[in-house]
Amino acid sequence: MKRHLAGLAGGTALALALTGCGKGSSSDSGGSDGKTIRFVAAKYDDDTQAYWTALIKDFEKANPGYRVNLEVVDWEQMDSKVKTYVQTKQEPDVLNYNKFSDFARDGLVYKAQDVVSPKVLADFLPLFRQKAQYKGAQYGLPFISSARLFFYNKDIFAKAGIARPPSTWAEVEADAKKIKQAGYIGLGLPLGPEEAQAEFQIWAMNNGGGWTDASGKWAIDQQANVDTLSYLRKLTKEKVTQPNPEATNRKDVFNQFAQGKIGMLNGAVFMRKGFIDPVDAKLNYGVAALPSKDGSTHKTLGVQDYLVAFKKSDGSNKAGVKKFLDFFYQKENAAKFVSTEGFLSVTESAGAVLSSDSKNAAYYKPFVDALSSAEFAPADDPAWAAVDGAVKQRIGTGVAGGDPAKVLGEIQKTAQKGD
Amino acid sequence: MAVHDVTASATGAEHPAPVAPAPSPPRRRRRTWRALEPLLWLGPATLLILTMVVWPIIEMIRTSLTKVSSTGLSEGFAGLGNYTDLFAEGDLPGVLLRTVVWVVGVVTVTILVSLGLAQLLNASFPGRRLVRWAMIVPWASSVLMTALIWRWMLNNFYGVVNRLLMDIGVLDAPVNWLAHPGQALVAMMGVAVFVSLPFTSFVLLAGVQSIPGEVYEAARVDGAGPVRAYLSITLPLLRPSLVVAAIINVINVFNSFPIIWAMTRGGPGFSTDTTTTYLYKLAFDNQSVGESAAMAVVNFGLVLAVVLVYLRVVRRQEDSA
Repeated sequence: MKRHLAGLAGGTALALALTGCGKGSSSDSGGSDGKTIRFVAAKYDDDTQAYWTALIKDFEKANPGYRVNLEVVDWEQMDSKVKTYVQTKQEPDVLNYNKFSDFARDGLVYKAQDVVSPKVLADFLPLFRQKAQYKGAQYGLPFISSARLFFYNKDIFAKAGIARPPSTWAEVEADAKKIKQAGYIGLGLPLGPEEAQAEFQIWAMNNGGGWTDASGKWAIDQQANVDTLSYLRKLTKEKVTQPNPEATNRKDVFNQFAQGKIGMLNGAVFMRKGFIDPVDAKLNYGVAALPSKDGSTHKTLGVQDYLVAFKKSDGSNKAGVKKFLDFFYQKENAAKFVSTEGFLSVTESAGAVLSSDSKNAAYYKPFVDALSSAEFAPADDPAWAAVDGAVKQRIGTGVAGGDPAKVLGEIQKTAQKGD
Repeated sequence: MAVHDVTASATGAEHPAPVAPAPSPPRRRRRTWRALEPLLWLGPATLLILTMVVWPIIEMIRTSLTKVSSTGLSEGFAGLGNYTDLFAEGDLPGVLLRTVVWVVGVVTVTILVSLGLAQLLNASFPGRRLVRWAMIVPWASSVLMTALIWRWMLNNFYGVVNRLLMDIGVLDAPVNWLAHPGQALVAMMGVAVFVSLPFTSFVLLAGVQSIPGEVYEAARVDGAGPVRAYLSITLPLLRPSLVVAAIINVINVFNSFPIIWAMTRGGPGFSTDTTTTYLYKLAFDNQSVGESAAMAVVNFGLVLAVVLVYLRVVRRQEDSA
């Protein structure tokens, strides 16, 4: 049975290699001449591959002699692929990923200033630039960002007799009960392993909780978080969520929302492009601030992905990588990626290009506005990778069989082990 | 019985050596060459085993004694730190217990069902060839696909199992089968049995076919009924096939990863993990490769122990038989 898995991995790698190499970039990933760049990109959706293939074609045309070998990897396989590459010393030159700090700690990646021009460096929005630092130096290159807001189905709200989206947790609970009465799922609550860490952080930070305390130490088992998990557990036990939040992944509830079966949930900026439009573009939904416990402040969750450039022992890849990254961060190219995938821009120039597109700007505006009060996952802490994994596995059990305080205590233990 | 033969011939071979006369120098050189000659034949195979089997095991043990950073870089000798970390994990006892349930359950059911199937496939009936071909299907299709299809069928939003049970009135509301550890484990064990059946049935079928018909005729003459014939003739003569089928299945099921991974990822939490999926999670979710290697070493030891104990038990039965 192991052999099946190995076969699968091999087959996928082969398929990726076959599809990944566009015209003129089919040679092996040598790169010793400094003119061949190996780029591992994350797959956001079916348009990702086409975008990069086209961009690389333009890049190779504009820079004769340079070549980019592209490999597009599904997010589900990303962690294991990256780990394998690093362990076997086969790091790509450029990697598109959601973590960077442990590479920086181990001295594997270039500082940002070494691989992009000062103009690009200055173009990053300060909020994201700051989150791309490790020990005071910027290593990550902000790539895309996403923000979360509260999505609700206006038709379902009308049927349940609810006038406006909830602002406090008490209202969320009351509204969810009304929606359930009306025959729908009240609240979509994905605490399955796919993105449980984001879902939990949304609720926790709107109760004054979070992953760390004011001094930056891990404080996952703090009282505010225990209260948060207990509240989510209460909603689960009252059966106003979809059944078994601990085993439900984000894409399942996003799909159910798009099909008009769920009344409300914490949605992401890419919901419209990735989930709602493909299923039912006419869905009558609204977007509101994330509810908080007391209803006074409403924080949003910001998420950003990065590009990082790995060092090669002789530094021969630096010039080529810089050429390629500068090419990507040209405003039209960066803007096109963001609009292709339905995310938010991390650079000022690309953001300006996007907001001039009036048709889409109205949808994105509340997300962009919310970013100013956004909190991020502590991706700049090297221990975050382990905490992230532990949260994904464990947090859901806090609304099912497990005791919230104990579940959070276990995660806290994992976090401290990483320090 | 075979064991006694081997030991007898081995002691026999040792005897002539001391009484052999001392050889003259050229003959001695030729003799040393001759003594090395088997190496020529054994060498390649030994080398293959050393590089493909022994070396990875040594690497695994070495990794389990190394401190590995979250990016996968070695940070030096860790002593037994990874093992103490592993045994301090609160989930480990549950994972070990579940592994036992998983292996014993799947292998037992597989072998019992396969015994029946082997008998069925051995009987002659019209369309037997077709049935034999059909038996191969679960074997020929990818384990991962089989597991994924079952996950979809058991899904609470759009799964066909819920649809069916609701249509015929068994259920009022859909059940999220894979979200409840007990049900999920049963479902996954069902899939594991399903994919293990073809191999096991064919091994046992080969065993059944190797039993000569005369034995049954003799038994019938002596007045044995079908049940008696099965218990006193078929089962004892099937023992070699059963041993092979059981050991290979134990190792296979012990290390089975795709079924659990595709259906529940060992979740919710760690409530449907076996040691194999648990060690994957340690490496890729908890980012501790060293601890994961320690789990792999423990896993390896467990498989080895189970197989050795099993062989011992079987041999003792054979001796007493």
